Amino acid sequence: MKINRKSPTAAQKKNRPQVWQIILIAFFIFYMFLPILSTYIFSIATRWDRTIFPEGFTFEFYKEATDASYFTTSLRNSLILSLSTILVSLIIIIPTVYWVNVRLPKAKSILDILMILPFGIPTVVLALALVQVYNGTPIGRSPVLLIGAVFIYSMPFMYRPISNALHSIDALTLTEAGQSLGASTLQVMLKVIIPNIYPGIISGSLLVFATVFAEFTLTKLILGARFKTFPLLLVEYTRINGNIAAAFSVISFTIAWLASLLILWIGKKGQGSSTQAPHAH
Amino acid sequence: MAYLELKNVHKTFGNVKAVNDFTLDINKGKLVSFLGPSGCGKTTTLRMIAGFEQPDEGTIQLDNEDITIVSPNQRDIGMVFQAYALFPNMSVRQNIAFGLKMKKTPKVEIEKRVDEVLEMVRLKDTAKRYPHQLSGGQQQRIALARALAVRPRVLLLDEPLSALDAEVRVALRGEIRRIQSDLAITTVYVTHDQEEALSISDQVVVMENGVIQQVGTPQEIYRAPQTRFVATFIGTANQFFGKVGGESEVQCSGLSISTRKLSDFTKGQEVVVLVRPELISVNTSQPSADAGNIIEGIVETVTFHGAVTRLGVHMNQQRVVADITVNSAESISLNQTVWLSFKPEVCKVMAVAE
Repeated sequence: MKINRKSPTAAQKKNRPQVWQIILIAFFIFYMFLPILSTYIFSIATRWDRTIFPEGFTFEFYKEATDASYFTTSLRNSLILSLSTILVSLIIIIPTVYWVNVRLPKAKSILDILMILPFGIPTVVLALALVQVYNGTPIGRSPVLLIGAVFIYSMPFMYRPISNALHSIDALTLTEAGQSLGASTLQVMLKVIIPNIYPGIISGSLLVFATVFAEFTLTKLILGARFKTFPLLLVEYTRINGNIAAAFSVISFTIAWLASLLILWIGKKGQGSSTQAPHAH
Repeated sequence: MAYLELKNVHKTFGNVKAVNDFTLDINKGKLVSFLGPSGCGKTTTLRMIAGFEQPDEGTIQLDNEDITIVSPNQRDIGMVFQAYALFPNMSVRQNIAFGLKMKKTPKVEIEKRVDEVLEMVRLKDTAKRYPHQLSGGQQQRIALARALAVRPRVLLLDEPLSALDAEVRVALRGEIRRIQSDLAITTVYVTHDQEEALSISDQVVVMENGVIQQVGTPQEIYRAPQTRFVATFIGTANQFFGKVGGESEVQCSGLSISTRKLSDFTKGQEVVVLVRPELISVNTSQPSADAGNIIEGIVETVTFHGAVTRLGVHMNQQRVVADITVNSAESISLNQTVWLSFKPEVCKVMAVAE
């Protein structure tokens, strides 16, 4: 039947998503967002354990959350921890990766393996080992030790994007070009290399921020109550009041979002009017 | 006293001798090409002059100052790379100003110099653009301008035209030569393209396996090659292998070639006779004996090269190539019998090594 109409529609159909594809994507989105959505709703629900839909809505839990005794302190601690880890990561990782790329290409495979190690070591083991080793030293059980620990733990997230970005520019030739124009290696790194790997630095910083801001195990085991971060406070409240804990979660999401936007904005500004385009021929 | 002097420079990578006992004097204001196939050590030598590689042995002197171990950013030597290597995050103006800023040149002076070199490379209107908005040829001109802005003592160019289209390549090499002569800047130019080297250089250094084969003007290199490598690498040369048969005669298999007097050779010594294709005449009938050496053969290939047509002629076990002008090519067809002739004076005889 209708053979003559079949061929054009077949071609069109090819580009149109199939029903099962739409269902799959919808399911994926649903699966990803349901917990977040539920958390949002739970944080403003008066009571939601006897009925399918919440019985009523209120902002009372947000007030209680922000009134909590450690709210500001823990928020401040988390920000200090995340931002100083980003700073330490950038200072250590950028020169290392750059140096290996330009001067020691053979060491690149070693560095690659080294950067997978943090994934292989359970955080509990890392935390307890560090506490043991540094016990009795000035930095034992101090925020400095914690920054060191979360730096190791979040290292791969900074390393990958920066390494990829460096790989995509011809770092060696750019370095030599800079040197032949009279620049020292440090000047080349600051004025030529870093501006050209900005996208990598930004995504690395975002990933580290997100990881460290939500970090719980290392903080709990290394410092415990001495340095209360936001995740610690959140966990504490899950035992007291689920709704307030949900409110904390929402605040945490929001801060992570705002911080991401801020870092992106700084990145855009830093990159100036230039664009990261490949060599045109 | 030469301006740039390399003395007994050696460089080894692993087991490979990249540069072997390289000694060369370059005079001020000259353009010298390093020419050779890839892996011949030309780029390594250039990088040692730039300071990106350290010689294992030997010294490099610039203007009577030993710069062998001076770091690249202290040498005052400009470099242009094959991959342009413009800084993608900077505009054309910022790229060119970079070297001057490193030298802490006053702002007004920087502006002046940037305009000056932009004018020189004829790209004044691109100052505000970014490298990715320029064509390859434009990028390389900016790279040249950037290297020249700091007024370096020596300019190094590492295969600067290899990444460009044929047309741009020819135009730009003319530009490079023009600017180089205008500024009278001492320049070292690395290339694997013989035409490029011959057309723009004051002197050509032909290299093979890390060793200098010959140094000379383009004319000397082409007309009087000193080694078989130079003769075959620069242009094309027919090679007839044989033994010295007489005072001015080489016996090849089934063929006797008259040459000029072979006073440097002993009878029976193994030699090769080299004849350039453009020095061979092609005759459609047997020429008289005073035409010199005459070889009868059959036309196997006819290849059009524009200004000339190259014939591949089969004789005995060998193939000989001869160039003829387009006009005379019309009368020659495939499988035709022709007589190739060349004078004894055009034969270059060389000993075969070992």
